[in-house]
Amino acid sequence: MAELDQRLLEDISEWSHERPVPGIDGVLRLDVRDGARVDSWYLTIEKGVVTVSRQGDKPDCVLTGDVATVDAVLSGKANAMAALLRGALDAQGKIVLLTVLQRLFPGSPGADGLSIAGYAERQS
Amino acid sequence: MSGDVKILDGNTFVVSDDSGDIEASLTDPTGLFSFDTRFLSKWVLTIDGQRLNPLSVDDLQYFETRFFLVPGTGTVYIDAKLSVIRQRAVGAGFHEEVTVLNHDAKAVDLVVRIEAASDFADLFEVKDDLQKKGEYYTRVDDGRLVVGYRRETYVRETWVSATEACSVDEGGLTFVVHVEPHEQWSTDLHVAIGRGPGGMSSSEPKYERHAKKARPNMELSLEKWLDDAPSLDCDWDPLKRTYHRSLVDLAALRFSPLSLPGHYLPAAGLPWFMTMFGRDSIFTSLQALPFTSELARTTLMALGLWQGSRRDDFRDEDPGRILHELRFGEMTAFEERPHSPYYGSVDATPLYVVLLDEYERWTGDAKLVRSLERQARAALAWIDDYADLQGNGYIAYQRRNEKTGLENQCWKDSWDSISYRDGRLPGFPRATCELQGYAYDAKVRGARLARLVWKDPAFADRLETEAAELKRRFNRDFWVEDGQYYAIALEPDGSKVDALASNNGHLLWSGIVDKSKAKAVARHLMSPAMYSGWGVRTLADGQGRYNPIGYHVGTIWPFDNSFIAWGLRRYGFKEEAARIAAGILDAAEFFEGRLPEAFGGYERELTKYPVQYPTSCSPQAWSTGAPLLFLRTMLGLEPIGEHLIVDPALPHGIGRLELLDIPGRWGRMDAFGRGRVDVGGRPRRGGQLGVLKPGSKKA
Repeated sequence: MAELDQRLLEDISEWSHERPVPGIDGVLRLDVRDGARVDSWYLTIEKGVVTVSRQGDKPDCVLTGDVATVDAVLSGKANAMAALLRGALDAQGKIVLLTVLQRLFPGSPGADGLSIAGYAERQS
Repeated sequence: MSGDVKILDGNTFVVSDDSGDIEASLTDPTGLFSFDTRFLSKWVLTIDGQRLNPLSVDDLQYFETRFFLVPGTGTVYIDAKLSVIRQRAVGAGFHEEVTVLNHDAKAVDLVVRIEAASDFADLFEVKDDLQKKGEYYTRVDDGRLVVGYRRETYVRETWVSATEACSVDEGGLTFVVHVEPHEQWSTDLHVAIGRGPGGMSSSEPKYERHAKKARPNMELSLEKWLDDAPSLDCDWDPLKRTYHRSLVDLAALRFSPLSLPGHYLPAAGLPWFMTMFGRDSIFTSLQALPFTSELARTTLMALGLWQGSRRDDFRDEDPGRILHELRFGEMTAFEERPHSPYYGSVDATPLYVVLLDEYERWTGDAKLVRSLERQARAALAWIDDYADLQGNGYIAYQRRNEKTGLENQCWKDSWDSISYRDGRLPGFPRATCELQGYAYDAKVRGARLARLVWKDPAFADRLETEAAELKRRFNRDFWVEDGQYYAIALEPDGSKVDALASNNGHLLWSGIVDKSKAKAVARHLMSPAMYSGWGVRTLADGQGRYNPIGYHVGTIWPFDNSFIAWGLRRYGFKEEAARIAAGILDAAEFFEGRLPEAFGGYERELTKYPVQYPTSCSPQAWSTGAPLLFLRTMLGLEPIGEHLIVDPALPHGIGRLELLDIPGRWGRMDAFGRGRVDVGGRPRRGGQLGVLKPGSKKA
């Protein structure tokens, strides 16, 4: 059975610690569907820092998608906004939280090889 | 497009012919559009199989219109015993009330039919004539007609229903109607749009029958919007009309981003640009600041939210970069276009900092400036870290997405807009001159915010040093000695791309122009080669590529002129600024107060009226904002500390001008001025302000 690689979420959390962009707080619940099974993660955004857990408060936004789509979006292979428009992802509630969160997703690797990791090197 | 009737609400709009019908071909932008997708491409009303003929159209509000019709076409006998009224209001789909009046002494039996269909075209497909990849379906469902389109998980539907009894088939709704003598029959038609995955969710039309009044999809109604704006009175009536038109059109163009419901920013223009654009939203917000700060506030928040965070070649995204354009249609959804969002604008990022500072000067809202500190710092860092593509310390652009990205990423974005005097086109990356001005201004203003709000004097010092250095180099590297103006761009090898263009006016606005050079620049802007009598041409007459109806190579853009006038005032050229205002405001009168995107660069004396460029968008946000900025520059409004300075320089013909209740950190203030500047026209009440003969006055 396909499962979401939780390290993708941990990377996002780690990246948010390195470069927090404070502004909008809230809880986003990520529901990852695989057939009838749904795995949920709670992403709590506080002062720009994201913490990930399997339980959490009542979410302000619920983001739903299948494993392949969520995996592609979190790893930078697909764009979150495009997936939402396509109906491959569904967001209910405060959509702004997805806007805040998507900044932490890696970009499609560029021709010059600079992605988020490249940016980190450049800034250091 | 003549005869088109448009109503809109946010990014939902309807474009029909003057009988209210829609019969769109793929390439023409008529229909019901929402979120960049056409939800109705056919909407035709018939009585007994006959089309209806328009008698008149009432534009009630920007979101509501009424058509008076009679059966029969113009070439056959008009049966005046029957008339039809269609009243339509847009808002999350639209609502239409159809009323049939029988004026005869006999009862009539009629078949009323509305045909409905949709091609669900993405606006990009309409623009570029592309073919669909998914499949269409139609069904009759619970008394309503559902037309839909599906491509994988992408689903869009249009639901059509009526309040009166009808038979529904896959092509439309049919009513069998009996109307007594001198009586009437009517029905309400609801058109709802549905999008979303899995279970379709559809927004219901907001305009119910018998609601006292159709309301736009805005918490802020049009009346409140108009009430909150400063009130204007003057001796020259055309200005009152233009001011009112600008306020109403700006209200119509308000757009609430999905991520910030309840907040509004200016969309760029109808019908192609009903979305968030970095550049257009920022320029329009700047123009409107003395009248409302809400547009600037939302623009700053929304663009800050979407600020680039990574390198992404498809979207031309970099960390800190401000977006160019956000789209919602099918091609964006399938990543066939990069607009999710697309970042290929090179001026929006420095202009973001300029707007943030200007917003603080007017409103004193330090809280927002504090909350956007990181975004502003990232924008300033982008200028140095990512935009220096020539490696010489100047902002330049070259797209990384070579398939669907934008080649020219400055406001003059057409293929031939940047050229040498002799017409040659330069290579890439291109460092256009106005970009350096914006970067300079961003650093100067960023320094002010760093010192005042972010309490970081070291950062402020650094920015000021960099700004001074940039100004020094710029005035050396871009100055065309034999022409006494700034080159439009630099090539990677340092060659000056030496055409004389209106970009010089933006340089005055930015403050990067050396005082010693300002007079020469102002003289060029007001010379017969540049100033037509209506306004300043994008490219001077006599340059290789000059063409009075060339999009960015000779036409006159009201938005461009409004910033040129601001620039002239900044360097003390009050009378020149008043002359530019007079020309454009005179032109506005020919368009009933609604300035087009651009008009021809012909001599005013030659044509006597401004020749409209066959433009794609009207109203266009930054043209709508131009008269507002002209009011600011003519009255010499400048926020200094807690005060609003008023230093009027008005054309004679305006006589007396008062602008009351100007909002700002001071609360509300009034400004008064009298027309004392001779711009060449006779000070005659109601006539034109300006001269017919350009260049005949001193400059």
